[in-house]
Amino acid sequence: MVIFTCEDSLEGILCGVYDAWMSRLGHANVRLELQERGNLRMFSEYRQTAKEDWKTEKVIDTIRRKAGQEVYEQVFHASLSREEEKADRIYRFLICALHLGPAVTDMLQIPAVYELFRMNRNVTREAMHLIEFIRFSQLREGALFGVVGPENDVILLMAPHFADRLNAENWIIYDEKRNKAVVHPAGGECALVRLPDEKWRERLTESGDQEEFERLWKTFHTHIAIRERTNRACQMTHLPLRFRPYMTEFQ
Amino acid sequence: MLIQQDMELGEKLAILADAAKYDVACTSSGVERKGKPGQLGSTVAAGLCHSFAADGRCISLLKILYTNQCVYDCRYCINRRSNDVPRAAFTADEICRLTMEFYRRNYIEGLFLSSGILHSPDYTMDLLYQTLWKLRFECGFNGYIHMKAIPGADPELIRRAGFLADRMSVNLELPTAEGLRTLAPSKDRKRILTPMRQIQRGIEAQRQELVPYRQGRRFVPAGQSTQMIVGATPENDYQMLTVAEALYRNYGLKRVFYSAFVRVNDDSLLPALPGGPPLLREHRLYQADWLLRFYGFGAGELLSERQPNFNIFLDPKCDWALRHLELFPVEVQTADYNTLLRVPGVGVRSAKRIVAARRSGRLDFPDLKRMGVVLKRAVYFLTCGGRMMYPVRMDRDFITAQLLGEEKRRVWDIGRQDSFRQMSMFDDGMLSPVPSGEDRRSAVWGEL
Repeated sequence: MVIFTCEDSLEGILCGVYDAWMSRLGHANVRLELQERGNLRMFSEYRQTAKEDWKTEKVIDTIRRKAGQEVYEQVFHASLSREEEKADRIYRFLICALHLGPAVTDMLQIPAVYELFRMNRNVTREAMHLIEFIRFSQLREGALFGVVGPENDVILLMAPHFADRLNAENWIIYDEKRNKAVVHPAGGECALVRLPDEKWRERLTESGDQEEFERLWKTFHTHIAIRERTNRACQMTHLPLRFRPYMTEFQ
Repeated sequence: MLIQQDMELGEKLAILADAAKYDVACTSSGVERKGKPGQLGSTVAAGLCHSFAADGRCISLLKILYTNQCVYDCRYCINRRSNDVPRAAFTADEICRLTMEFYRRNYIEGLFLSSGILHSPDYTMDLLYQTLWKLRFECGFNGYIHMKAIPGADPELIRRAGFLADRMSVNLELPTAEGLRTLAPSKDRKRILTPMRQIQRGIEAQRQELVPYRQGRRFVPAGQSTQMIVGATPENDYQMLTVAEALYRNYGLKRVFYSAFVRVNDDSLLPALPGGPPLLREHRLYQADWLLRFYGFGAGELLSERQPNFNIFLDPKCDWALRHLELFPVEVQTADYNTLLRVPGVGVRSAKRIVAARRSGRLDFPDLKRMGVVLKRAVYFLTCGGRMMYPVRMDRDFITAQLLGEEKRRVWDIGRQDSFRQMSMFDDGMLSPVPSGEDRRSAVWGEL
């Protein structure tokens, strides 16, 4: 068994796919793993994949040409997943996809396709949830700042929604777990940046008029519930606890 | 009681949110609209829920009344004239400010604006219209707006408001005209149905236009909805469902909402509900409503004059399937989409996935499970490649007993929330069904 290790990003995984495929060792004899994850295996050879743009472009081009845009999007979503096995799952899926063409996304009875479908669904659902549950606070300069702590790396998927909706606002969506942020200047394009330091926390505490609206929102949230119908279990199903530390009304 | 003028915004919000919460419609769905440069907001066709309240209901829109002052005296309503509750009224500016600031912070998906009747329907509708106008044109709000059409208001006002709102609704409140006469003497059915018809005509007329105006605003693009109170009057489920079906068919409604009656007023004409609001009944009506809209069922198939209420223990679809065992089991490989949809445990999504997947190969039960089919219900009604998952007697009593195992527990959870039960040796956890009128009669005459 030869194991190809790759970087944890779409580009890295696709370079891994390229190297593993082009090694001509046979699909059954290769495996893809993310770098610096988990234990090493005995009796296998490890090869490090070099991340190079031409490999990524080549793979993306092949996927688009042979399997279509939808398959490419699914692979992109899956590459944002938190699962450690994702690199190999994407590889197994691409074997099917390049063989069967665009219709592959419907063939859920094939295990490799189902695994990718599942990862894709998990990522998309979380992105959808966070689009609903993210709360912005207003900084003193008027910019909006939202913090999330997602399981999957989804801030990239959230950005287009807010770029459209809050196009005239300055806003930042910050992923606390990965120290990444999407920054959107009013009327401009989004950019993905790294925000390693804790400076933003200080900025958040010295915010402007936000307290008034946070208080009003909490008032509304309490008063809109009908006491006779109280149903915490139902609330829990729709709004799992892990989102709540980031939400104004539960703070 | 007079409206208090010198009230803080927070207090007003508390009073007017409290007054609005018994209206259940809180969806933000039905229209897809991209953001506009320089404006705030967009809408998503499927709708977004931004939070969930302690009662498990979604909070999607800022649901408020313009004022809770009302000239009517409807017995079920907390804001009725004869109630001694604090009265408040927003100003248009306050509503605009709240909506814009909440929306920017991603608290809400838009505004739900309703109102008690202040002075007259025309006057109230005009206030609502002016508020919306301000919000759309002065503040540049491009998000979702759900607005109530006030029955009895001038048609021109309703027409104009319809171009500013995304969804409009007129509440039917009670399914029959008699019910309305007893509990809401100042409303009558005709006055409620008139604006509903007007909105429907407006939407349809727009659909007929050959060249739609690209720049202009569309009239009620997300359609209209209504609401019925469940359990305030003695109507049975069959009547409720027939009315809902008629509304979907004849008035082109997008949604009919059901609201379990909460006894907020102490009134001799209102039923006493010792067990709390009829939540299970509401739940069954919603299940049936989905069957009407997405599964191709008719009200007459689910219920009838002879069986006018839903089964407490079984959901409407299982109940229907058990009455039509001659149609089952269904073969997954060959059954058409509409037949698959009628199988308990198969939903719209899983049926679509099955139809797409079987083109390229055979499906087995584990595959169905992965596609989202609920096997614990579906096993009794499906075959894969001519075989059932395990041998099942196609016998109504047998399958009912099997299905009840899980269903009974769920019914118990819905009916008795947060209550703990004393354990007893003689108690097998069965809910005994409520005796019907016929049972009582036969008990009296000794015909048991």
